[in-house]
Amino acid sequence: MDKIKNNALVKKIGFNRVILIGVLILMYLLFGALCVALGRASFFTMNRIYSALNYAYFLGFLALGVTFVIATGGIDFSVGPVMFCAALIAGYSLNTHGVPLAACLLIAIVVGTVFGIINGILVAYLDMPSFITSMASMMLAKGVGSVFTKTQSVSWPQLADANGWYRNLVKITSGTTIIPTGLFIFIVAAIICAIILNKTKAGRYILCLGSNKEAVRLSGVDVRKWEALAYILCGMLAGMAAIFYVGAYTTVQPGLGDTFNNEAIASCVMGGTSMSGGIASIGGTFIGVLIISILQEGILAMGFQKDYQYVITGIIVLVAVWADIRSRQRRN
Amino acid sequence: MGEVILTMKGIDKSFPGVHALDHVDLEIRKGEVLALMGENGAGKSTLMKVLTGIYKKDEGTITYEGKEVEFENPRAAQAAGVVIVHQELNMMSHLTVAQNIFIGREIMKGKLIDDAKMNEEAKKLFQKLNIDINPTEKMGNLTVGKQQMCEIAKAISHDAKVIIFDEPSAALTEAEIEELFKIIRDLRDKGMGIVYISHRMDEIKVITDRVTVMRDGTYVGTLITKDSTKDDIINMMVGRVIYEDPKTKSNVAPDAPVVLKVEHLNAGKMVRDVSFELHKGEILGFSGLMGAGRTETARALFGADKKDSGDIYINGKKVEINSPEDAVKNGIGYLSEDRKRYGCVVGKTVAENTTMASLENFMSGLFINKKKEEESAWKYVDALKTKTPTVDTEVVNLSGGNQQKVVIAKWLVRDCEILIFDEPTRGIDVGAKSEIYTLMNELVAQGKSIIMISSEMTEVLRMSDRIIVMCEGRKTGEIDIAEATQENIMHMATQRN
Repeated sequence: MDKIKNNALVKKIGFNRVILIGVLILMYLLFGALCVALGRASFFTMNRIYSALNYAYFLGFLALGVTFVIATGGIDFSVGPVMFCAALIAGYSLNTHGVPLAACLLIAIVVGTVFGIINGILVAYLDMPSFITSMASMMLAKGVGSVFTKTQSVSWPQLADANGWYRNLVKITSGTTIIPTGLFIFIVAAIICAIILNKTKAGRYILCLGSNKEAVRLSGVDVRKWEALAYILCGMLAGMAAIFYVGAYTTVQPGLGDTFNNEAIASCVMGGTSMSGGIASIGGTFIGVLIISILQEGILAMGFQKDYQYVITGIIVLVAVWADIRSRQRRN
Repeated sequence: MGEVILTMKGIDKSFPGVHALDHVDLEIRKGEVLALMGENGAGKSTLMKVLTGIYKKDEGTITYEGKEVEFENPRAAQAAGVVIVHQELNMMSHLTVAQNIFIGREIMKGKLIDDAKMNEEAKKLFQKLNIDINPTEKMGNLTVGKQQMCEIAKAISHDAKVIIFDEPSAALTEAEIEELFKIIRDLRDKGMGIVYISHRMDEIKVITDRVTVMRDGTYVGTLITKDSTKDDIINMMVGRVIYEDPKTKSNVAPDAPVVLKVEHLNAGKMVRDVSFELHKGEILGFSGLMGAGRTETARALFGADKKDSGDIYINGKKVEINSPEDAVKNGIGYLSEDRKRYGCVVGKTVAENTTMASLENFMSGLFINKKKEEESAWKYVDALKTKTPTVDTEVVNLSGGNQQKVVIAKWLVRDCEILIFDEPTRGIDVGAKSEIYTLMNELVAQGKSIIMISSEMTEVLRMSDRIIVMCEGRKTGEIDIAEATQENIMHMATQRN
């Protein structure tokens, strides 16, 4: 064990993340075997992978944002509904008001950012607890989305339609070759987030204030600004998630989205981001997102209902939180 | 002096990168108070944590009442009669005194908690200790001193045979310490074995029978208290003699400019109409009893707490300070009395803490220049002689004195002209203390100005050029070091309205 731990490559990636990658691969193989055992169609097809990736893109943007919030020691339960709210408002503007597509994509990001700003102000400047604040804004997002579309679901254009080019953000199909553009964008987004978290002043202060906010404040740092920024980033990324959601699935219904909060938070926790703040890993979140995506695709491939996925996700989260607490106990 | 009740022999304990205990011996006897002394980081707390089952030892034996034991956890140690009274009180302030004492082993009447019985039992405990505390009082309403008494009552309620006091006097007033000593003597006379950990040399002479000294995780030796002098003990602790004479005259030039002027500062009940001036190159001592409002004055001045009114001038110019950010921008740095909570982010590294207040100077464009950051951190680790394996070490792994040095480094990197040291040596051992004093003297020699809040009279008299005395939120006196004596300071510190 120590030999593996001290391997240069393992050290660079981080031992915990190596384990996560192992879990990811095992899970993939396990679903493949289970599909054979249950006499279902093969799991090892490119279609399955693209389908899992479709799920990973929007979930990934949500989880990247939530990572910043959890790093401050807070929590954001609003990202899923905020994503849907953004997709509904932007899609409705496109379909009903004829707003140009490019502007609609921007509207989605703006809607997400506005929710982020609201959460940030309430939590950082008015000292409201993030748990209850984000729960309230979750309801707000659901309600606003419904009211805006008059409780109608919204279908974004198909690829062949006049305004269908946005779907190329997810993947480009030409003949038999498929280019997973979404994957490239997701990777670039994760790298940018990792740089923000680890190399910039914002990331440094977000992590430090998550660890001991008062000590950072007494160092003359405007902790409110940086804490609010984490929520704003989170909201903005939820807005971007909306684009990748409709890019993959086109249809959005009002009043939904809460399950994605849980999956986004689960991805972070699995990836080693500590729920008590101060410790966060974008790389971990990235792999966590892939695990959840494979999981949901695998359950689907086996022909089971999504409920099974929740059971497994629930167990995984419990194990991850337990591991986090254990490692902190050992450190002290 | 009674028979040996507990022996620790050859105790060894390592943490990653630190050999915390190197084959340490300790012997506790019945009816005796044993002082455990050593600089911070010497391994006293670690040794006690090994004893009470918080840490597992790597090597060595613990013999208790003639049998070899290894306590699984503090609960098991308690059950066997080995209890620890912690320096930081573990109290639930919204519960009553009795509920706190019996927490975890409530007296039951069937399936329900029997509060009446617990109050009665608590009362008996207090009678045994000859202290007057109402068991039904909410813990939060008691003074720190009384809370400490409750901790002791809780400890003896476990039918303790060995009681460890971990710096019990750190937050107590003189009168409370007297009361504490009465209780300790009483427990000793009842045949208990007592370990007393403290940094206050005077207390050691008063209360203990033997002194065991540790240094850098090793056992140095044991002395009989009454046959040894203060210097003997200090020499064993640090291996050098420490200069501790009071200052006789101010080192500040009579025409030194005023760098900070505070006028009619008011903040809540604890800061009432406080005005003072701080000169360039001066150490301005703030003396007074616990609760005199000195920390509150500093926090209001620094913008950490809201002030109700008052004007602040820096170098003759009026400034608005409404947040620590404003204060830091105006060149003020604040070292809190509570390092772990307000001083450093213990979960982060030495380097990250060092640059906390001046990160903008370590940026290359949008990014933090980690190389530059580490170089600066190393520079201050070397300059302040901070004991840390690397600058990537998390501050939580350092001892109190070294954590304090990291906080000092933070403000030095920021190049603050005015530094507020709030109890700069609280909980810090003699060796590191003298290093911090030297450092403060160097800083003022460089033209920086220091406000030093201290509850230790010797510290105030040794370091200050001028002394301001507070009592109940008011400034009750101001005195030049040449005229200051313990007596006249104490007189002003007790000038109640």
